[in-house]
Amino acid sequence: MINVALAGQPNCGKSTIFNMLSGVKQHVANYPGVTVDKMSAQVKHNDDSYQIVDLPGTYSFSMFSLEEQVAKTFLLDEETDVIVNVVDASNLRRNLYLTFQLLELGKPMVLVLNMMDIAAKRKISIDMERLATLLNVQVVQATASQQVGKAEIMAAIATARKQEDAALFKINYHQFEPYIAKIEEQITLQSTIARRWLAIKALEGDALIIEKTGIKQQLIDEFNDEIHHRYDLDIDQGFARLRYDNADILFHECVKEQRSAQENLTNKVDRIVLNHWLAFPVLGAIIYLIYQLAIVAGYQLTNYTWPILAAVKNWIVSWLPQAQFIDVPPITDFVVWMVNSTIALLNYVPIFFILFALIAILEDVGYMPRMAFILDRLFKRYGLHGQSTLPLVLGGALVGGCAVPGVMATKGIADERARLATILTVPYMNCMAKVPFYTLLLGAFFPTQMTLMMFYISTVTLFIALSVARLITATFLANRETAPFIMELPAYHLPTVKGVLLSAMQRVWLYIKKVVTIVLAVAVVLFVLLQYPGIPDQSMSQLRLSAEKALSDFDHKAQKTAHYQRVDEQQEVFALINLYDQYKAQRMLTSTKEAVASLDQAFLAANPELFPLVRPEDGDAKKINKEVRKLSKVSKKIRMEMKNEKISSSFLGMFGRALEPVSQYCGFDWRINVAFLSSFAARESAVATLGSIYEKGQQDQRAENALASDGAYTPLHAVAMLIFMILTPPCIATMVVVKLQSDSYGWMAFAIIFPISLGLICSVLFFTMATQLGWSGEEMMRYFYLSAAAIAIGLGVSNRKKPEWSVSE
Amino acid sequence: MSIATQQLSLADLSTGQHGVIQGCQAQGALKLKLLNMGFIPGTQVTMIRNAPLRDPIEIGIQNYLLTLRRSEARLIKVTSHD
Repeated sequence: MINVALAGQPNCGKSTIFNMLSGVKQHVANYPGVTVDKMSAQVKHNDDSYQIVDLPGTYSFSMFSLEEQVAKTFLLDEETDVIVNVVDASNLRRNLYLTFQLLELGKPMVLVLNMMDIAAKRKISIDMERLATLLNVQVVQATASQQVGKAEIMAAIATARKQEDAALFKINYHQFEPYIAKIEEQITLQSTIARRWLAIKALEGDALIIEKTGIKQQLIDEFNDEIHHRYDLDIDQGFARLRYDNADILFHECVKEQRSAQENLTNKVDRIVLNHWLAFPVLGAIIYLIYQLAIVAGYQLTNYTWPILAAVKNWIVSWLPQAQFIDVPPITDFVVWMVNSTIALLNYVPIFFILFALIAILEDVGYMPRMAFILDRLFKRYGLHGQSTLPLVLGGALVGGCAVPGVMATKGIADERARLATILTVPYMNCMAKVPFYTLLLGAFFPTQMTLMMFYISTVTLFIALSVARLITATFLANRETAPFIMELPAYHLPTVKGVLLSAMQRVWLYIKKVVTIVLAVAVVLFVLLQYPGIPDQSMSQLRLSAEKALSDFDHKAQKTAHYQRVDEQQEVFALINLYDQYKAQRMLTSTKEAVASLDQAFLAANPELFPLVRPEDGDAKKINKEVRKLSKVSKKIRMEMKNEKISSSFLGMFGRALEPVSQYCGFDWRINVAFLSSFAARESAVATLGSIYEKGQQDQRAENALASDGAYTPLHAVAMLIFMILTPPCIATMVVVKLQSDSYGWMAFAIIFPISLGLICSVLFFTMATQLGWSGEEMMRYFYLSAAAIAIGLGVSNRKKPEWSVSE
Repeated sequence: MSIATQQLSLADLSTGQHGVIQGCQAQGALKLKLLNMGFIPGTQVTMIRNAPLRDPIEIGIQNYLLTLRRSEARLIKVTSHD
């Protein structure tokens, strides 16, 4: 196995090169110890297999951000056999700054000039042979966005691997040379990395290298003073200047650039996109477009994917042991619960796919850093950073998203305080899974004001998130390191279809892997908490009594028909009810006449005895069919009652009751408490639980209507629930990623406790005020909204003091 | 016509104005970062635009576009010919 590391500065198109070399066989993992994505792929070329790793982009060997640290430590790793340095051919001069330092490592290297098409368009011609001779390295051209250059790169890697004793590339560092030599003598470390490189980095004061080589800090300090004294030179400034000077010389030797009078595209687009007046409207339009395409259109797409999921569910259920009238085997109960939990989550996949693809397009085009540029000032006021934009958008700023990818996207933020603040605020964004809960409550209590209420809900989250960010950065995070905002605005690029799809697929896969596995684990726990200790014997025997009565009624009526021998045994009756339910479920998914006919045939073939009673043709069969229908309803009703009894006497039910003394102040009874408790696994559970508690076996009544007509709750209760849901903690999956990204259980605990307390306080406060002052539900929501907005604006305005950045030395 | 050389900070340049970097008052990691990004004495910079909310600023340096906040730009001393 030959280890190849792909290194380069940000925006050099390294990922497109990686995609081109690796195809779709990519693996995403984390670098050990940190949460930066490690993309790797195995590639075969002429019977050799290569392990290619795509390193995060880095301008130099500094350790400014987590990603730069990762790239550096990886390159220092002994295992790397060949380094492939990708450079942007249209921006060679600056890219050479890193190239020099990579060459100095003394490992076999290949230089890939990427984006040759753009260079050609800008009339930049590069003398490749001259460049190869001057740098003593193989130079390969590529335009990865058009799949050009793959074979050449692989061939060059194979050649580079074999040349063991190439002469070491050296830059003449003039005054520094004697000092480099002296340090080199001191280094005893055996390593595949050139001793000269280690000496240079040690002289530059690189703490990691000084520690690794065991050179005395005192010696470096002495040299530092001496150089300062003798030449009036700063070491770091001196090295940076010499590298840039050499890049300049090389650039003039090898590159001919015809200054085109014509303004380039990036310039033209930026005039509009970053225009003083147009920037915000354009940003708004883009977010609106994402909303329309991902959320609205994606939701419509789920209309087509849902039947597939439902069919899979029916198929799985058909393999399970069947119910004996009211007795459902525990295994069936359990599997149905798990399947329901899974498909509830998988139902979001189309939406996520579109959302992630659109975000990948924005990233590839180069709009993301521009968004950060536009919003940095606003975010800075609240202790966040321009780079908080992407995580907040993914988390669902305004339109609905998911906190899991949002929190994961915080890794690129160099500012430690803003990074933690972003991790802790993303969960306040509009979680997509909360939407069914909102629509349930709004449909029940505010059918005519739905749009207005939805507007309140979706925009209030941003005010809350900003206020929370400001609060925690001013208090808990006050002493965290901050970093300045220094970011390149890359030239605009057309994204590649492959790159966008790969990125979207990877993110969706991550969602499926992380969310579904964790949520399912929690679903198991919830199942147990909702099932046990079980229904009290007394109520159970009562329910059995009514079940037996229904059965004997059926038997009585069936006796009078010609088909009695088909249903004269109880097992046959149970089978008939199950067949009826099964047929009904499948019939709902069938729409055309032909499909119905073939469905009927399949059923008839499988059940020649009983199916004629499900699709009756003669009068007697119709009579039985009517009774079966009744029986099916009764069994559903009894099962629902059993379920409610079970929940009511379950551990979770007891817990919900135990919380009533507190929760009563915001109008929550134990049933609502149970719904919220179960929403920890996934928000979908809240709707499912609330729905099932209120269904009460009335099949024809929707959960909305059941809730509204129940009489126990008023619109004020509904708003209290909404407020709590807006603020409440993220689901378990989000908690796990918060733990991962903040690397602390403390912050995870904080991310759970703080929002719950805040949610409780707000709902109690507004519920009490509303009941005392006789507000309507809409008024209660409006005042909550206005208070949140006022607090957020107040906090932003009060933060006029210029925040001081500070960076540890 | 008088040609005066003004000593300014990078944040003081007006849109479209060119300047030449004289020095950088930053320390530690920030200084190293700025050096790596090409803020080396003698380098030409151009103020391109302010963000819509006036901060950060976008500049042209070493043939590429860079954004930074005014608080950092103030640490970079430039001269400008008017």
